[in-house]
Amino acid sequence: MRLIARYAKDRGNDFEIVTIYEHEVHKEAVPKADPAIKTLAKEHPSAIWFERKMSDDFGIIIKDAFDKRPLVHQERFPHTVYPMLKDFKEDVLEFAEYIPYKYEAIRGDGIFQVSVGPIHAGIIEPGHFHFSQAGEGILHQEVRHFYKYRGIEKMLEGKTLFDAKLIIERISGNESIAYQIAWRDILFSACGNELPLSLRKRHAFLLELERIIHHVTDLGFIPNDAGFGAALAYASKLSEEARRKMKELTGHRFGFGAIDLENIFYDTASLHEWLAELEENIIFFEDWIIDIPSLWDRFDTTGILKTEKAVKYDTVGVVARASGIMLDRRAEPFYLEHGFEMVTEINGDVGARYKVRMNEVKNSIKIMQHLLVDNTAEVELNKVKDGEYMSFVESSIGELFMAIDIKDGRINRFFVRDPSFMNWQALHLMMPNNIIADFPLINKSCDLSYAGNDL
Amino acid sequence: MIKFWKKRIKLGTLTEDLEFDTQLNEIQKEIKDHVHKKFAGSLAIRMVDSGSCNACEAECNALSNPYYDLERLGIYFVASPRHADVMLLSGIMTFNMTPHVLEAYKQIPEPKWVITLGDCPAMQAPFDKNFAIKSPAEEHLPVAHHIAGCPPDPKEIIKGILSFLRKI
Ligand code: SF4
Repeated sequence: MRLIARYAKDRGNDFEIVTIYEHEVHKEAVPKADPAIKTLAKEHPSAIWFERKMSDDFGIIIKDAFDKRPLVHQERFPHTVYPMLKDFKEDVLEFAEYIPYKYEAIRGDGIFQVSVGPIHAGIIEPGHFHFSQAGEGILHQEVRHFYKYRGIEKMLEGKTLFDAKLIIERISGNESIAYQIAWRDILFSACGNELPLSLRKRHAFLLELERIIHHVTDLGFIPNDAGFGAALAYASKLSEEARRKMKELTGHRFGFGAIDLENIFYDTASLHEWLAELEENIIFFEDWIIDIPSLWDRFDTTGILKTEKAVKYDTVGVVARASGIMLDRRAEPFYLEHGFEMVTEINGDVGARYKVRMNEVKNSIKIMQHLLVDNTAEVELNKVKDGEYMSFVESSIGELFMAIDIKDGRINRFFVRDPSFMNWQALHLMMPNNIIADFPLINKSCDLSYAGNDL
Repeated sequence: MIKFWKKRIKLGTLTEDLEFDTQLNEIQKEIKDHVHKKFAGSLAIRMVDSGSCNACEAECNALSNPYYDLERLGIYFVASPRHADVMLLSGIMTFNMTPHVLEAYKQIPEPKWVITLGDCPAMQAPFDKNFAIKSPAEEHLPVAHHIAGCPPDPKEIIKGILSFLRKI
């Protein structure tokens, strides 16, 4: 059973531990006086971050955990502060005494450690990677994040769904539309309204456009990390054009604020034309890039994630599909009727992830062509009802899970699990038998979000 | 590969709509002059993300795409703060990143400037101040210039850099 998320809620006298599996939801109550639970890490290694986060957020003790280090709370974070407790109301926190973090490291004769980050050499997000090296070869890597921890979950508590949207759409800039759609689904279930088809189509159209922008950007950056800059020049031109299209349709280059209930007229004829041109350019790009042997020499057999491991670590999205797992939240009637086809590869290497992206871009263009219709519908939302709601969306990275509890019309608990949160935990599996110089390439081929992960 | 060169030769150099192009050309010429005079021909920028949503970084990356191609004006994004003249700071200065940002600033040799990019570091984005956030950046660093927007688009960033250059 695939683990999707595990998180806690402060219910006053006790904590509720919610564990979301593919087809089941488990709930467990633990008294605040003795807040101890058992780890799931033996069956699901990806439970480790969820559980370490729970300890940092609430002070919950994971009795039999073999990794009890803090996750979100870094060296200078006051270790007795549990910000997700309802009675924590501090707005300012002073830096505490520096307590060093113990990295996972392999030690031995001639083995050395390489620390990378949090600030990296390029224009990318902050995060830390710790390598144990035998010469050039990577023996082990630890991924350490949460430098971008903005306390989003706490920040949204007490807000109405509508007030929360401005923040939700800014959690991860590359996945803004996906986050907004997750929010929309929760809004509609909370109001008990049916989502009109034309609205659903328009939003799905924008989600595919976002996927295209993100994938095409990567299709340029991945070869660039293997020293082939021409691909970046070509692909970044295409993604710039797609971004301008996003601006034209939504008024914002990243689609902030795009998922609304308005009826917006799309000039379908010109969009069809634009899509046809984009398709032609992508096919040209693919034709060119597939034919460069020195590039595929770097891509093939680099950073392999085997299917068994991909399953064991509950990976999602592009990473999972490139390792042969048939997993895509779009595999449902609405998308299947509109041209969706599951794209998978089996090798699980950089090359496979590259091909998945390439084919998904082509499939997204097809879906968008199916979604273009010009009828509109009116919606009048009912009142938001209290309750516990959740939603799933396939973002450009993978499956996004969001859960919101509403009490007295306001958010009582907000939880979101970015697809990156799962895949980051599997990144180290791709490292052994690779040289450290290939790390940027492997990392880019997964292109995970730091902001969505850290919240 | 042959197909690629064929297309390349057939297309030649493309320009965007003329008004935008001439406007951009003027800005770019002025930037080039400033960089030439004040920074001996090359302005080195160290981009530091202190907790952004990544859209501000994406727009900075877009500056190198063929539409804008910032490097031809002598402006480079460098890998180390020790090679930088300017720190371009994006993001909301999280509790966890702030010590690293200050360290990076310390590593930049004098004379140095800080430009804040986007609404986040100025605490103007829709995020609420909380325990995990240390913005506004002015409370921690001498900010020489601010480029507003959420995110500022590549053209606004270019304009922002120009007004910074005019100032100093
Ligand atoms: S200013 Fe806006 S776009 Fe830039 S990082 Fe902040 S939220 Fe994202």
